[in-house]
Amino acid sequence: MAETMLEMAIVLILFAILFGVIRLVLGKTVVDRVVAIDMLTVTSIALIALYAQVSGRFVFIDVALVYGLLSFLSVLAIARFMERGL
Amino acid sequence: MLELLVALVCASILVSGVLAVCLKNLMAAMVSSGLASLFAALVFLLLAAPDVAMAEAAIGSGLATFIFLYAIRKTGYDKG
Repeated sequence: MAETMLEMAIVLILFAILFGVIRLVLGKTVVDRVVAIDMLTVTSIALIALYAQVSGRFVFIDVALVYGLLSFLSVLAIARFMERGL
Repeated sequence: MLELLVALVCASILVSGVLAVCLKNLMAAMVSSGLASLFAALVFLLLAAPDVAMAEAAIGSGLATFIFLYAIRKTGYDKG
C-alpha cells in the first residue's frame, strides 16, 4: 500500500515538472516564468523528500531544507528587483 | 522509475539552458539560467551526492542570481 502511494506520488511529481517546464517555455511575461520557477522548486523539494523516504537516506532532508531556503531568497530578490530595483 | 526521473530533470536542464541562451529579455534569461542550476542540483542529489547538490544550490541559485541581478541593474539593460 505504501509502495503504491509512493509510486503514484512520483508519477504526479513527474507530471508537475512537465507542466511547469511547459509554462516556463510558453510564458508570456517574466512574472509567468518566475512563478513557474517557484512552482518547480516546490515540486523539486517534494521530489527530494520523497526520494529520501524511498532510498532511506535521511540526510537528503537537510538538502531539501537548504534548497527551499535558497529558492525562497532567490524569488524574493527577483520580485524586489522587478518592483523597485535591487 | 529513478532513471525516468533523472532523464526528465536532465531534459528540463536542457530546455532551461536553451531558453537562457535564446531569450531576448535579460531578466527572463537570468531566471532560466537559475532554474538550470537548480535542476542540476536536483540531479546531483538523485545521483547520491548531497554535498555537491548543496554547494550547487547555494552558489548557482543564490549567489549567481544576486550577481546577475546586480550586473543587469548596473549596466542598465533592464529598461528594454
